[in-house]
Amino acid sequence: MADVDEEAIQVPANAAAQPEVDLSDETQDFRFLNHLNFFSDSSPSIPRRGEKDFEPNPTELQADVLSASRGAMHNALSYPRLHGPKTRVIAFYAPDGFVPPAQIARPTPKAGEDEKSSESTPKPARPLPNSARISPDACVYVPNPKGQLFKSMGQADSSSRVWLLPEEALYLIERGSLDIRWPSPAGSTAGPGEEDLSIPMSLQAAYACFMGRGGLTLERYSVYTGLKRLGYALIRAPGWCDDIEHLEADASDASEITSPKLHGPGLAGMLSSLFKWIHDPHSTASTATGPIIGTGIHRHYMDVYRKLAIIPWYDPATASERHPSDTTAPFRVVFHVYKPSTPFKKSAPPPPDFRVAVVSTRDQTTMPTMTQLGALLESTPLDPPRGEKMDRMMYMRLRHGYRNVVMAVVDQGVISYLRIADSAFGKEKLYENKGGPQGPKRGRNQKTRKR
Amino acid sequence: MATPVTSVDKSVADKSGPASDARPPRAPRPPKPNFRQIHQFPLPVNVHHVPPVIPHNPLSLISVALSYLTFLISPPRQEVYSAYFDKATSSIHVTDERSIKALWQMGFFGKGSLSRSEPSWLAREKKRRGLHDGKTSEEITRLRRTERRELKLERARMEKLAIEETLKAEAAARKSGPSEPIEQDAQSTTTDDTTNATATTTEKFSLKKAREARALEARQARELAAKNADAALAEQNQAGTSSNGKSVRFSPVVQKKEFVSTSPSSLQLPDSVVDSLDSDDFPNEEHLQLSNEEAFFLAYSLGALQIYDAPLKSGEVISTSPITTSALLQQFCHHSFQPARDSAASLQPDDPFMISYTVYHHFRSLGWVIRSGVKFGTDYLLYNRGPVFSHAEFAVAVIPSYTHPYWSETEERRNYTAEKQARSWWWMHCVSRVQAQVLKSLVVCYVDVPPPAASVDDIGALFSQYKVREFLIKRWIPNRTRD
Repeated sequence: MADVDEEAIQVPANAAAQPEVDLSDETQDFRFLNHLNFFSDSSPSIPRRGEKDFEPNPTELQADVLSASRGAMHNALSYPRLHGPKTRVIAFYAPDGFVPPAQIARPTPKAGEDEKSSESTPKPARPLPNSARISPDACVYVPNPKGQLFKSMGQADSSSRVWLLPEEALYLIERGSLDIRWPSPAGSTAGPGEEDLSIPMSLQAAYACFMGRGGLTLERYSVYTGLKRLGYALIRAPGWCDDIEHLEADASDASEITSPKLHGPGLAGMLSSLFKWIHDPHSTASTATGPIIGTGIHRHYMDVYRKLAIIPWYDPATASERHPSDTTAPFRVVFHVYKPSTPFKKSAPPPPDFRVAVVSTRDQTTMPTMTQLGALLESTPLDPPRGEKMDRMMYMRLRHGYRNVVMAVVDQGVISYLRIADSAFGKEKLYENKGGPQGPKRGRNQKTRKR
Repeated sequence: MATPVTSVDKSVADKSGPASDARPPRAPRPPKPNFRQIHQFPLPVNVHHVPPVIPHNPLSLISVALSYLTFLISPPRQEVYSAYFDKATSSIHVTDERSIKALWQMGFFGKGSLSRSEPSWLAREKKRRGLHDGKTSEEITRLRRTERRELKLERARMEKLAIEETLKAEAAARKSGPSEPIEQDAQSTTTDDTTNATATTTEKFSLKKAREARALEARQARELAAKNADAALAEQNQAGTSSNGKSVRFSPVVQKKEFVSTSPSSLQLPDSVVDSLDSDDFPNEEHLQLSNEEAFFLAYSLGALQIYDAPLKSGEVISTSPITTSALLQQFCHHSFQPARDSAASLQPDDPFMISYTVYHHFRSLGWVIRSGVKFGTDYLLYNRGPVFSHAEFAVAVIPSYTHPYWSETEERRNYTAEKQARSWWWMHCVSRVQAQVLKSLVVCYVDVPPPAASVDDIGALFSQYKVREFLIKRWIPNRTRD
């Protein structure tokens, strides 16, 4: 019994050799920050992480290391973060949301209390091609966008101002890459191109202004900013708004059990039907009181297993797709996420790499029910396992599933991501398998695996 | 004083590459039994293959006809095993040795009552009494655990030793001169030499170093004994342990303990007792324990098991008839509650047994060997072919689901089903973390419960109203999917 996992224990307890260790979970030794050189850009290499002691011991060495680590962290944090003159990007807060620049004759109304101007800016008669994509939730515009960050954020209007969504603006201001200004007081006469610089918005004020605006919750923002910092590109998914109109999607269950295929009537088949009367297990088979498989002679285990299949199962391949509005509130895709390696064009976003739903554990205290989870998955497109590797390996097929979604479970700021896949074990008849490789050999030299 | 320490670290760091490769040579493993042969039948059902018909070879027709003819003249009998239901443990006991062997070998049903899974108590007992050679799986595991524990203790000892060295060095530094410059020196080296420190710890745990340390320890102990300073050593050890907070036992003691627990000879009874024992004399105290789902599958689906109410004496003529499958279903459903419900209670469609059996039958019918997953905090584990061949790849957690409109008709039913379906996020995270640790994929299996049925006579119709849907849930770590 205990044969396969014995190699694993011989592995030296070498933390560096374990790829499964999730470093983000640990408190770090911040001494590595000392190797960061903030002032010269000659060596952009990331310093190695330090190493961690698990228990306090009375040595002065440990105390020294600890204080040095602390000092390094303070040192890194105390580094002044400035808006350099070259990289400074100034944005303006528009509390009324997106305003088209069609009325160029007047200064763009930036203050909510300016009654006249807000009256005189009706919805644009013919929407410009660009501005159609600007969300009504956008509330910050950048007249002069520059830098890498705007490649995946914001939408430009016809006068090449980039409008930012609340989460984008908040992310940028928190990152120190954006200087948001309050709208100029009413009556200022500066043109839209050369707004006079009013008071800069503080981070606290930015949180107060943007959080809760246009459906942005703290949970959604933490997911957004967490993934963004890792280099992913995120855009809002159609399920962002909670009050999307409810379409009557027919949720008829299209799934059925696929009936087992019968063998063609070859010569052997004819013969077996000829001899069937001799000992037909079917005649004694009874699902009412059992045995299901009957008491006669069984020709093959395949037949036995086929007869055993009495429990219906859900087939995700045949299920019809649902509209995002057909899902229940927290279990809804709110972000489309793109890997850093995916070429992303914000004017024409490609199909996303991941679809993320955000759930707050304080509002939704239990796991989703099957209906909620099923609806969430059925609102994503079918993504069946494909490829040569998948065809070969059953375990990989099962793990990949037919649809998949990432659920970000936010528990008071701690985010746990769960990838949920709709896998159909019923489609993989293990008994028909002739024992080929089922999946990549895992676990060797990595970790002791338990049976 | 910190400088010599770092220089030692450096020399150690240089060696770290080859040292980590140098694994201790392992004892050759005893040859595996031929599991392919032993477990060639996936279910305890006899299957008789028909010789293939080759169209261009008329002789093959004859062989086919002959095989049918033999079946006609002497129909092969399907083996039916017998077992009894034990109310106290709410499980099925199989005591007949042949049945035990058959049920384990064909489909891995049940578990030995005194063993981890395969009933191996007799073999272990024989070996313990020195009558039998070879190793059972429990013993292999125990050996492995001993080995691993020693390694860990060795590592802890090494760490403690290193700490003591540092302490000594620091004390010496304090004595020798003004501490100020030295401390500064130490600080500067520690702050800058993170890479060295990393290399040290990778080396710190290697077995080679542990062995060296053990030798050193032994030498020190001898020297001390020569100086008749045993008491002082004990005192020092004690002081070290208490101040450190880490309970480190020194290996000689541990080794002795392990020796006692693992060695077969040490447990041997006195010679006179052994002589008086006949090798075939002692009975097998172990029986096979089937879970209710396994038993019901064997009895109802395969018809390979007959279950009685009370244990049968060997050789006794069967006077009582076995429990019928419908009565069995009732009984199991009632016993799926703790304490068992009154036998007069009517069956509910969401009795735990109905749900767990639905899942059990579903995966069995697909060809998986499905066994209890209690050791990893799930309901089931799925093995491909069986636990002796490979590790389980999937762990199944079962959650009921009530989508039928019947369940949302009244407020009372809605509350009831909401309570039944509720699983906390913490539960989810616990389960998924454990499965990641043991390299299993977590399958959350929802079972859709039908409304109460009018009659429970047709078991097959009853179960065909349930519906199974599997979701694979895995932690997603955004750091690793960036590409």
